[in-house]
Amino acid sequence: MKKRGFAAVICLLLAVALLASGCGGGSAPPAETKKEIVIGGIIDLTGPTGDVGSPYHDGAKAYFEYLNSKGGLDGHPVRLDAIDYAYEIKRAQEAYNRLVKSTGVPAILGWGTGDTEALKSFVAKDEIPYLSGSYSEHLTDIQACPYNFVLAASYTDQARIALKWAKDNWREARAPKLSFVYNNTPFGTSHLEDAKAFAQELGFELVGDEVLDLKTLDATTQMLNLKNKGADFAIIQGTSNLAATVLKDARKLGVETQFIGLNWAFNEKVVSLAGAAANGYIGVVPFAFPGEDVPGMADIKAYLDSKGKEFKDVNQNFVQGWMSAMVMLEGVRLAGDDITGPGIRRGLESLNGFDPAGLGAPVTFTSESHRGSVHVRLAQVQDGGIVYLTDWITYK
Amino acid sequence: MDCGVFTTNYREDMAILHHPGAKLKVLVVVAFFLALPFMVNAYYVSVVNLIGIAIIGAIGLNILVGFTGQISIGHGAFMGVGAYAAGIMTATLGWSFWIALPAGGLAAALIGGLFGIPSLRLKGLYLAIATLAAQVIIEFGIIHWPALTRGPAGMVLPAPTIGGLVLNNDTTFYYLILAITIGAVVFALNLFRTRTGRAFMAVRDRDLAASVMGINLFKYKVTAFAVSSFYAGIAGALWGHYLGVISPEYFTIKVSILYLAMIIIGGLGSVMGAIYGACFMTLLPILLRETADFFGGGFAGLTHIMLAMQEAVFGLLIILFLIFEPEGLAKMWHKVKEYFKLWPFSY
Repeated sequence: MKKRGFAAVICLLLAVALLASGCGGGSAPPAETKKEIVIGGIIDLTGPTGDVGSPYHDGAKAYFEYLNSKGGLDGHPVRLDAIDYAYEIKRAQEAYNRLVKSTGVPAILGWGTGDTEALKSFVAKDEIPYLSGSYSEHLTDIQACPYNFVLAASYTDQARIALKWAKDNWREARAPKLSFVYNNTPFGTSHLEDAKAFAQELGFELVGDEVLDLKTLDATTQMLNLKNKGADFAIIQGTSNLAATVLKDARKLGVETQFIGLNWAFNEKVVSLAGAAANGYIGVVPFAFPGEDVPGMADIKAYLDSKGKEFKDVNQNFVQGWMSAMVMLEGVRLAGDDITGPGIRRGLESLNGFDPAGLGAPVTFTSESHRGSVHVRLAQVQDGGIVYLTDWITYK
Repeated sequence: MDCGVFTTNYREDMAILHHPGAKLKVLVVVAFFLALPFMVNAYYVSVVNLIGIAIIGAIGLNILVGFTGQISIGHGAFMGVGAYAAGIMTATLGWSFWIALPAGGLAAALIGGLFGIPSLRLKGLYLAIATLAAQVIIEFGIIHWPALTRGPAGMVLPAPTIGGLVLNNDTTFYYLILAITIGAVVFALNLFRTRTGRAFMAVRDRDLAASVMGINLFKYKVTAFAVSSFYAGIAGALWGHYLGVISPEYFTIKVSILYLAMIIIGGLGSVMGAIYGACFMTLLPILLRETADFFGGGFAGLTHIMLAMQEAVFGLLIILFLIFEPEGLAKMWHKVKEYFKLWPFSY
């Protein structure tokens, strides 16, 4: 009897799988003469950073599709072979091995700081150019990470730019008090040391850090601390969920600190999650928002139109993913016929002031530096909308 | 198949492999694994490597949970202790990997034994919470002791070398992991033929009765924690050096739960069960993903849903195994073998 029950469950599972398979109608690919170029992707769709990882992945995939609809990369069809690793390092490692050693991709679009740093020695050894969604300062160390490319201003540079701006706009005579709000992961902490040194150089008074979990729903203790310390500014490094929790609890407790979020902590989702509490929140924005008046949006609009979608269906992380794919494929294009890891690395390193048509800051990689950019814009939430405070600025 | 196997002395009776067929089978299996890297590409070798590391960790946890009946939710953290201890020795102190690996295991055994002390007074759920505390404390310690562990940023570990050979690719590491895994399996199989192993099982079955029989509960419970953590430490140290980087994110409570799931699905109180469970739990996400890719090719949404279902499938499997086959894959495999032993003339 028991056995039959177990068998029934298995049959049910199989039936579900079969039903699912019935839905996947395959469309015949058009006849292509040139060889397909497959780029790997290690992306978080279902893990703790899935809230921002999913649109990022959609954006990257969209760019590949868009390019194919325009005839591919110099006639080569392109494909993103993306694997969800749920923000688990073990699974990122497995995905990496699958992509590099089985599929044989020449380059990878990665995602998180922890896994990108975990894979950096493999990436260097296997000579796989790796453009990740992480802008950790450690990845710009070209000796340790010769195959990692950092697309936008590193978290450290982002924090520096925010601090410089905050100091420049500080009108009181006393030193401004500064706190850092972050999560205790490689992603959350990579900027701390350098940013703190820079803050002291600028004359900020550091009043201690507040540590939160990425998925936390309560930041009352930390916000009370901030209130007691009377912090004037707090730099948030986390994802939208963390930032929204911070802003809501800060408002509830009447904290007067001016919060400044680094790029993953500042997007439309924070505004919708935090509602009125988001008003006045300042963010570091290395990429454009969908629907902004920049030339690059025309392509995204064309793509969205073809899918029957609008700008409001996507968010900034989509643009970010789109631009990451764009830069990676530009590197592949510049590699010419040498579609190998070292070839694409040379291709990427010949990007000099590559203009992503306003979707982000111009990107420059050289053989001495894989720090793509040191420019960001600052924006503020005003009456539920996002308004730019500055043009592209840097801290130097 | 087993017909005509008679033992005439205790030595033969105690043998792990009773008859020539079994010995041949083991030889074939070992030969197969020795030849494996020459037959498949590096990706499959890397998957087998991950399985090997998982087997070492799972056997360790099974010694504690399955054989001694002491629950632990701190296994991931004990792996972390081993990885960090070995990592500090190789990366910071510049010692040889061959010293650091056993030393990492011993460090984990020491910490594991320490956190095992409450097991004398605590049982079941209470002990689970006490080991949960171990998990949290160790994780916190790793993150907040940057002078030693470099904090959340993690450490970069050098590749082990043997003679002039640097073990920095999947194939060379494969043989290292294979050798250690075989050693771990053989040690565990033999452990349960010794006084210590039998004492573990007596403690599991009824600790009061065991103590009446003269078994020092404190000693054996702490020993079980230490042996289990030693395995965890070795697994952690191997994994860290295989990956080349370690950070606190690798040794979270999720890892502990995953190992518990491995031994529950594989079979509590069975060395082979730990092996099956480790294989199964490592391969499951890969198989689910391949299935999702296969069926969901045209539909991004479907792939997404199937990926998100992974966690649910894990949970469902654990529930189903607990209900229908509490002794896990090992028992299922045993039943299949028994069935075919007499097939087609079974009674």
